[in-house]
Amino acid sequence: MNDYDPQAILLAAFERLRKDFGLGVGELLAAYRAVAGGFGVEGPEALREVARLLWCHSLDLADDFDEVFNTVLAQTARPAPATEPVKLAPTVDKPPPPPSEPPVQATPNLPPVAPSRTVVEPAPLPVKTPMRPVRDIQGPELRAYWPLSRRAMIYAWRYLRRTVKEGPRDVLNVTATVEQTARIGFFLCPVYDRRLKNKNHLVLLIDQGGSMVPFHRFTRDLMETACDGQKSQIQQVDLAYFQNVPPDHVFRDPHLMQPFPLGNLLALIDTDTSVLVVSDAGAARGHRRNERIRATAEFLSLVKRRTTQVAWLNPMPQSRWAGTSAQFIARLAPMFQMDREGFGNAMNALRGQSRGRQR
Amino acid sequence: MTESPSFILPKECRPPSGRHPNAPKKPEPYVAANALVTAVNLAIYLRRPLLLEGEAGCGKSRLARYVAYELGLPLYEWPVRSTSLAQDGLYTYDSILRLHDVHLKQANKPGMFGAKSALPGKATTGRNPEKPMDYVNFGALGKAFRLDACPAVVLIDEIDKADIDFPNDLLTVLEEPWKFEIKEADDDTPPIVAKHPPIVIITSNKEKGNLPEPFLRRCVYFYIEFPSDKERLKAIINAHYLIKKSGETVAPPAAALTDAACERFLAVRNKGDLYKKPGTSEFLDWLEAMRGFRDLPGLIETLHSDEAKLPYPGLLFKIHDDWWRYAAKP
Repeated sequence: MNDYDPQAILLAAFERLRKDFGLGVGELLAAYRAVAGGFGVEGPEALREVARLLWCHSLDLADDFDEVFNTVLAQTARPAPATEPVKLAPTVDKPPPPPSEPPVQATPNLPPVAPSRTVVEPAPLPVKTPMRPVRDIQGPELRAYWPLSRRAMIYAWRYLRRTVKEGPRDVLNVTATVEQTARIGFFLCPVYDRRLKNKNHLVLLIDQGGSMVPFHRFTRDLMETACDGQKSQIQQVDLAYFQNVPPDHVFRDPHLMQPFPLGNLLALIDTDTSVLVVSDAGAARGHRRNERIRATAEFLSLVKRRTTQVAWLNPMPQSRWAGTSAQFIARLAPMFQMDREGFGNAMNALRGQSRGRQR
Repeated sequence: MTESPSFILPKECRPPSGRHPNAPKKPEPYVAANALVTAVNLAIYLRRPLLLEGEAGCGKSRLARYVAYELGLPLYEWPVRSTSLAQDGLYTYDSILRLHDVHLKQANKPGMFGAKSALPGKATTGRNPEKPMDYVNFGALGKAFRLDACPAVVLIDEIDKADIDFPNDLLTVLEEPWKFEIKEADDDTPPIVAKHPPIVIITSNKEKGNLPEPFLRRCVYFYIEFPSDKERLKAIINAHYLIKKSGETVAPPAAALTDAACERFLAVRNKGDLYKKPGTSEFLDWLEAMRGFRDLPGLIETLHSDEAKLPYPGLLFKIHDDWWRYAAKP
């Protein structure tokens, strides 16, 4: 191992991992520093350990990491000059790593939940599966479309706040107390405030089934993050499902089994309510149907009579709206694509701050 | 005794007398895998926080105590709660006490209200309301930043319990200038700069989705696995009883018992039908119970037989379904 060049290996591995692992130049420099400090100089395996410690931030990524590192090692081992592997790296970028390994490795330390159902007595099963680090990224091929992470959703929901002071005065206001004392010259009494409460109300209408099936994962995330009041800090969320267009009835459950009249839902909406519709509006299949546009327009006009804070979230990217019903519906309600920026803009619309971009 | 073979601290950071007076006195029984030692060393060398994940009861928090003991550095623990703010780790400011002291001073002045009406109670000993710095309570990180002689080990325990903004707020402090300001202080008070950046060990045990990317990027990440081979489990048992002994004499469990217990425990654990797998700490408790709690006849035979139910199941199985399967057998 005379031609062992840790920096070249690191650089080549970094170039391939950078995007998927969300690494910055700082991380590459940190690895260089570690090598300069004597970490990982013993050989490629020690170097792998160092790079993994610095760059891998979950168990899921470890499999990907090993694979990439192996290919990089194999490439850097052949040509002797240290500069060459760096040039090699981008060309190898195109063929994706063979997808045969990760699925096999993905399972061993998961507790299998299903096979233990032999107990006949209705023993209360744990509702929640036990802790294990979340493995939500299954493989490189599934990572391609990941418009919004749950974290991003929670963040965005928080902007939807509408705080009102409410209840008894029971929060000590230290600044005001000190100020009052300074003004009067002696301490009279502490100053109390009313508690700030979030009085926001969200009506979430989710298109379910049909062309929305590929997006169920995201709509479920949306629903879960919004309804978890502690995280999203939305006080009241009313949820309804529909398919394609909300007609006279919407549904309480995602399987569209429990209908209730649309009028009941509309009755909940007042001027302070935000209404978010999540639907592809026909953009997924690329159709343009007049009846769909008309029905949607009717529905939107009903909603707009009650509140102006309406937004439409479209899981299809904006480039696919043209020529479909979505293009027309986007004129009736501010429509945003479902990525970080679009979702943020939708939140603005839901707060009544902007009407969205006029297209 | 500071020549610990495992952890490496740069020379200029070593405490002058070998051990800092506030370093943990009690040895911490811990068996660290080589990879984990490398991770700690890398974190120390690069001055990056070490993020530990792993199943509950696998010794995430204990590592911090172990590192602090081995290196002879003081340890500041910061158990994070759902209401914790990043600011709390640096300092909290007691404005009310300051106000109270001002008031007390005035009341004690003769002629103002009359010295007689002075409030009974503690005088403002050692505190002067004119000096804002007297009312600063430093948190774990704040204390670590103020150490002069050597770095400290800071344990930020269960970081994912806090609000989602928490890690991001921490980042700004755990970075290069390594300093923070006390905004209540006078303008001419210099900011608090860490002479030796602390060794930060962060544990997290829920889903990773909770931690933001920029934060993860900065950390050295290590996943502590359960020691799934018998030898390591035995090494851990030995370490525990070796240290427990100092003080009163506690006989380690008989070799046969240890063997049988390890075997049965690993068999049950690796079978993979548990909803909640017991961790190392639960295993040690269980072993201790079998060793010294009460003499059970035929204990080792029970352990060897796959059919018999486990003794003291309450120490291992904490979910009804697991209990049902292994403990409630007729």
